[in-house]
This record gives sequence, C-alpha cells and structure tokens, in this order.
Amino acid sequence: MEPEVVNSEMLLPQNFSFKKVQMGDKYPKGHARGRHWKHLKQILQAENFQSYPTDEPNYLNIETPPSMYPSKKFCDITGFEAPYMDPRTNLRYANPEVFKRVRMLPNEHIQRYLSLRNAAVILR
Amino acid sequence: MPSLATRPERQTDYRRFSPAIPIIIDNGGFNFRIGWAGESDPRITFRNLVYRPRHKATGETVTIVGDHDPVLLKYFDCTRSSYRSAFDSNVVYQFEIMEYVLDYGFDRLGVEDSPVDHPILMTECICNPISSRSKMAELLFETYGVPSLAFGVDAAFAYKFNQQHGICSEDGLAICSGFATSHVIPFVEGEPVLEACCRTNVGGYHVTDYLKQLLSLNYPYHISSITWEKAEELKLEHCYVAYDYAAELQLFQKGTKEAEEKTRCWQLPWIPPSQEDAPSEEELARKAALKEKQGQRLRDIAAAKKFTRISELEHKLHGLEDLVQQLDEVEDEEMYSILSVTDYNSKQEIESAVHRVTQSLRKARGEPCESEEKVDASLSEKYPLISIPDDMLTPEQLKEKKKQIFLKTTSEGRLRAKQKKFKEELLREKQNQEDEEKRLENPELYLEQTRVKYRELCERVDQRKRLKTNGNGNSSGGVGRGERLNSVQKERMRLLTTAAFDRGKGEDTFGARDEDWQLYKLMSRDNDDDDDSLDEDETELSRVTTRLQEIDPEFVAKSDLAALQGTLEFTRLRPLTAEDFKINLGIERFRCPEILFQPSMVGVDQAGLDEMTGVSLRRLSSKDDAVKNRMCNSIIVLGGSSLFPGLDSRLEAGIRQIRPYLSPLKVVRSLNPVLDAWRGAAAYATSMQFSTQTFSIQDYYEKGESGLKQYQIKYSL
Repeated sequence: MEPEVVNSEMLLPQNFSFKKVQMGDKYPKGHARGRHWKHLKQILQAENFQSYPTDEPNYLNIETPPSMYPSKKFCDITGFEAPYMDPRTNLRYANPEVFKRVRMLPNEHIQRYLSLRNAAVILR
Repeated sequence: MPSLATRPERQTDYRRFSPAIPIIIDNGGFNFRIGWAGESDPRITFRNLVYRPRHKATGETVTIVGDHDPVLLKYFDCTRSSYRSAFDSNVVYQFEIMEYVLDYGFDRLGVEDSPVDHPILMTECICNPISSRSKMAELLFETYGVPSLAFGVDAAFAYKFNQQHGICSEDGLAICSGFATSHVIPFVEGEPVLEACCRTNVGGYHVTDYLKQLLSLNYPYHISSITWEKAEELKLEHCYVAYDYAAELQLFQKGTKEAEEKTRCWQLPWIPPSQEDAPSEEELARKAALKEKQGQRLRDIAAAKKFTRISELEHKLHGLEDLVQQLDEVEDEEMYSILSVTDYNSKQEIESAVHRVTQSLRKARGEPCESEEKVDASLSEKYPLISIPDDMLTPEQLKEKKKQIFLKTTSEGRLRAKQKKFKEELLREKQNQEDEEKRLENPELYLEQTRVKYRELCERVDQRKRLKTNGNGNSSGGVGRGERLNSVQKERMRLLTTAAFDRGKGEDTFGARDEDWQLYKLMSRDNDDDDDSLDEDETELSRVTTRLQEIDPEFVAKSDLAALQGTLEFTRLRPLTAEDFKINLGIERFRCPEILFQPSMVGVDQAGLDEMTGVSLRRLSSKDDAVKNRMCNSIIVLGGSSLFPGLDSRLEAGIRQIRPYLSPLKVVRSLNPVLDAWRGAAAYATSMQFSTQTFSIQDYYEKGESGLKQYQIKYSL
C-alpha cells in the first residue's frame, strides 16, 4: 500500500478489537454465499402485511394515497405548462418551437425524457 | 461519490465515558452521525456509503466508508464497483454494508475493547419492517456485544427537541422531508400518532437526481461535468421553492427581466483557443520554396517517365513497321514462317497493332487523338462479317462473326449510356436555368418555394426510409441483433423457412404447376422493393439541397441538423466560445424542488407535502376539531430537504387551502433541520427513565423477533 493511502486512514481495517465476530469470519473470502439480502419489495412481501389487523400502522399502509387533484401536465423539455402531446413520441410540449425540438430529438433522449416521469416504454 | 475530503479524526477519549452512557446513532439515508448522549453535537458525521474498489498494486478488494479524498482514488481500480448504500428507500436492507458503516463509526468514536459496552440509541424509519429491525438488533447484539439498545424515529426525536426549546407545542404536526422519503407525523400530547402518519416516496435524492437528469439532457456535451455531487451542490446553493408554481412558470415563459435576474449561470472551465501568430515573411518564403522544390522533383520524375514510355513505344513501332515491310517483300509461304516466330497470326493483326501503338504514342506525346471519328468511319470495316448472311460463312468465320456482334453491341451500349448522361446533364442544366430565371423574377418567393419543396422531399424520403426499416429509429439501415425486420424481409424469411421445413411432408408436388417456380423469384434477395421513385426523390432532393446551399445563407441541410442535435459535431462547426461552456439554471431552480409538492412530475403517484397534511389530519378521525386546530397551529418542518428557501411559506399557503376558513395555522422551521434528530436523541438518552425504554440482550435471547415487534418506545419521559 502506498504511504499516502495508509496515512489518510481511508481504508477500513480487516479486524477490529471491539467486535465479537470479525467480518472475515462472517463472510469468508472466496465462499460463494449467494445473495443474502432481500430488496425492500421482497422484505415487504415477506412481512405478510395482509394478515395484520388493518388498523395497526405498518410500512405499507402509512403510504400516502394518490393526490385527489388531477396531475398537471408539464412540458417535458422546458418545464412550462404543456397543452399538447406529441402522439409519435408521447412527449408533452408547450409550444410549436418546442415541438420542432421534440421531433429532432434522438430516440435515446426521448426515452430518457419519458423515463424522468416514469412513462418510458420498457421492452423486455 | 462524497466530495468532502475531510476524514474524521479518531476520538481518543473513549475511556472517559462510563458504560452507562449511551451511544447515539442517527442512521440517516444521507449522513451517519454517531456521538455521546448528553453532548450537543455528534462526534462523527459521514456519508452513509460504502465503496469497495480493488487496490491496483496488490489486487486486494478494500473497503472505504464515507467521505474520502478523490485524489487518492488513483491507486484503486474503480471500474467494477460503485458506491453502495445499506438503504433501499428508507429501510436498511444490506446488513453487510451496514456492518462496514458501523465498524467505521465505532472505530472513529474510539471504541477499543470488546464488547461495545454502552447502550445504543439508534434511529430508524417509521414502521420499520420487522425483519429489518430484527436484523439490525442481531447485528448489534451478536457482532458488537451491545448490552441494550433502543430504536426511535428520527423525526420524533427532532420534534421533541424543538418542543423542549419552545418551537412547537405538545399537539402538532411534523413535516419531515428526508433523503429518500417525506413524512407527515401528527403528535398528540407529545407522542407521535403512527396510525395517522403518511409517507411519500420522494425526497432530497429525487430532487438531486431530477436536477442532474434535466441538466444532462439539456447539455449533452457537458454530461461528464454534471456529476451527482455537482448536482447536489447546485441544489443546495441555488434551488428554491416557488410560492406559486404556475405564476413562476409564467414569469419564465414570458422571459421577463425578473426571470432573467433569477437565472443563475454555472461557467465550466473553458480555455480560449490559442491565437496562432501569423507566420513571418521568411517562413512563408521558406515554405513556398520547399513546396516548389518538391513540385519540381515530381515534375522531373513525370517527365522522365514520359520520355521512357515514348522511346519504348517508338522502338516497338519501328519493330512492327520493319515486320510489315519484311512481310510485304516476301511470298505467302514464307510469311507464315516469319509470323510463327512472332505473336501475331495475320498481317491484319500486325497492322492493327501498328495502329494501336501509333495511337498510344500520340497520346504519350500529348497530340490530339482522332480515334472517335475514325471508329465511326471504320464501323463497317471493323465488323465486316455482320452484314454477311450465316450460310455464306465458314465455321471459323461464324465464330468470328459472333465475336464481332458482341463487340458491336457493347460499344453501342456504351455510346448510348454516354448520350443518356449527356441528355440528363442537359436537362439538369435546363432546370437550373429555369430556376435561376424564376429566382431573378422574385427572389423571396422562389426561396420560400424551394424551402417548401425541400421540406416536402425530406419528409417523403424520410417516410420511405422509415417504412423500410419499419419505424424503428435505426438510421444505419442495417438489421442488427434484436432489431425487427421490415415486412418484405419478414415475408422472405417466412418463405425460406416454409420451403426448408415443409418438404417431405406428405406428397411433394412442388413444381407440378408453373406458378410454383415463382417462389424462387420471391425468395431471391433482389426482390427488395428498390423502386425508382425513391431514387428520383433522392436525386431531386440532392439537387434542391445544393441549390439551397448556393442561394440561402441560412440554410442548414437536414443531415447536418441531425448531427447538430446533442453531439460534439455541432461544436466542431464553429469555434467554441465561453457561452458553450455555460450552464444556465433558470426554471430548474424551482422545478426540481417542486417534485416534493407534485410527485407526479417524476411519475410517483402520491400526494405532495401540502396534501399529505390533509391526509394525515383525515386519518386522525377520532380527534375533534379543537385538537386539529391546535395541531395546525404548531406545524414544524424538518429534514434535510426542508432547507429550500420558500418551502415554509409555500407549505403554509398549501395547507391553508385545505383547512377551514380562518382556522389557526402556523408553519415554522425547526432549529436545525439536519441536526435536530441527533440532538433530540442525545437529549432523550440522558433521561433517567431511558433505561426503561431499552431492549436488552436478555430480552433479545428470550423474546427474539416477536419481542422486537411489540417494542415501542415512549418519546415523552
């Protein structure tokens, strides 16, 4: 190790005197242990919240419901209020000048703009 | 990811603290804070991130937690790993990473001997899933040997802290916007009402990410400069919440002066291109001389080559002439013996060779060529056998005749092609001339007409291309992997497969009917519909394009325009200026934080901060209006994302809309939105009753997960 790196104390040591089980013993090197964690979605599924009493608060039922107001439509490119939508790209736009830009956008950018508001079509 | 290069120093006074003093950990999605109960500030704060690159020299995988000096990363291979967080949304899910973070936190706090002999108070999210909580308890009890621990909600500690300082009252609402999520938590008699709180999955991370994405889409050629850290920095420095979003948008849409004043600029480092000094006279002369010298050399070589060729040809001509003379002098019988030595079969052949050599000699000497007329004149001589009927010829002559016919047709074909080309040229010239006349008559009208025509043609050609590639944006035209074929190609593939697999099924009657053979025609590759109209359109388009390029100074061809869009080519068209390296933050300054109020802008189908308050109050159905009024008179804004200027007044305006007319309303900021949670927890843990609220290691072994499930601290002691 370079002295600079050592002096900066940026690297986490392998062993700590205050631990009862060291990292290396817990997760031995070279051992395939597969995935030992679950994503939040899987955690929530495993919690089996449906079986809980409904009046008891849990991670899922404290979520905010959708807004009661219709969501406003904004231009994907400029952010202004968008009265129009381009049927070919599905992008919303504010005025004809923006429309020209929309039509000249490369496909990749169109998809990125759409995915910003979670509207991109994902082909699998 | 972290840009703060300062590494926290290891604390040295660990031994001064008796085992009764709890360690306070605020385990936030953005920052991890650890310190001692009763102190005013956390000892150690760092980004809650782990980075595991490979050390270049030794090949070892190393672990880096929190902030570090980016300069030192040059010793590591960072290509195969990225920053990892233990959090999915606001829930801890990767405990291996959590362990690295805790290791580092305890190490920096100065913990020396095993086990960590202090009670621990740690923050968690509201309604933390039980598996996450029990894994955290398992980690702390079994790996670190902690005697007891307590879990509490960060926002609740922050609320209690502010309550103690008289900012808010017993009954109130905490609006907490964190890194990954935002919460509204009602408090009644100093305790959070968990049934009535609500969470929207939008937070500071989303704001920063939105800003980063918008900027990198707007400035694609600066994409490498727009990093996550930079976006975070810009967000903290420049973003604000608009009091009235629609009005603010209007301001910018009209391009008013006020909007201009609100626009911020980020100038990227830019070095003006160095002005090259004009070369001096001497240099120019020297260069010219050098060029002249090289040219002379080339000319000499060419002349020498020409000379050798001429002499060669002359020599050959002499030889041939001698041969002809010789043949003239001798009898027929001897002629064959002479000819057999040479490569020629007859006298005519020699004569034609003589003719050829003289031709090329003329050409080499640069004299005018007279072959064209001569060919025309000698057409009948050249093909003497064609006009003679077959039955008058010997078999050899017949063969010769066939050859002559072939030669004649090919030369005629060539001539025809030449004429056609000439005619086309003429036609084009004529069209151009007509155009020119029209232009001279009315230049503006003509320009407009040409533009319209150009656009139409562009559309048509584009459409045709799109149809051919079946609408996928594949500009290269080839069919790559995973791309769909167009309809014609698909049909062809279908025919091929049916032809390949249908044979042998039952009786094979293929070929019985004449139509069967049409199949091969359909299958052949040439069947692609290369219709002529497309070509016509394309040639016309190219003609109009060149025409426009001549007469219209503003004209930019469409292919150039396509390149102009978001690629570096555009910048190559003209020298770069400082303007090109400027990133404007106008509407983005308030557009990004707006997602906290309108999560639908980033595709999250949940209500925003102001509406959440209403939802929360509705969920408190058991409380009467007097309580709700009291609560609305004590609304406090917490969390890192509440730092945006204007957030509190916007919230007040939003909540006023959903509250009854003239009902009391007060929205205040907390003392320190970022640190209050830790401070509140640290104050909480100093209470004498703290030990009654903890979950000990004995409880853990006796009750396990179900004990943890019921475990719930009381915030007011």
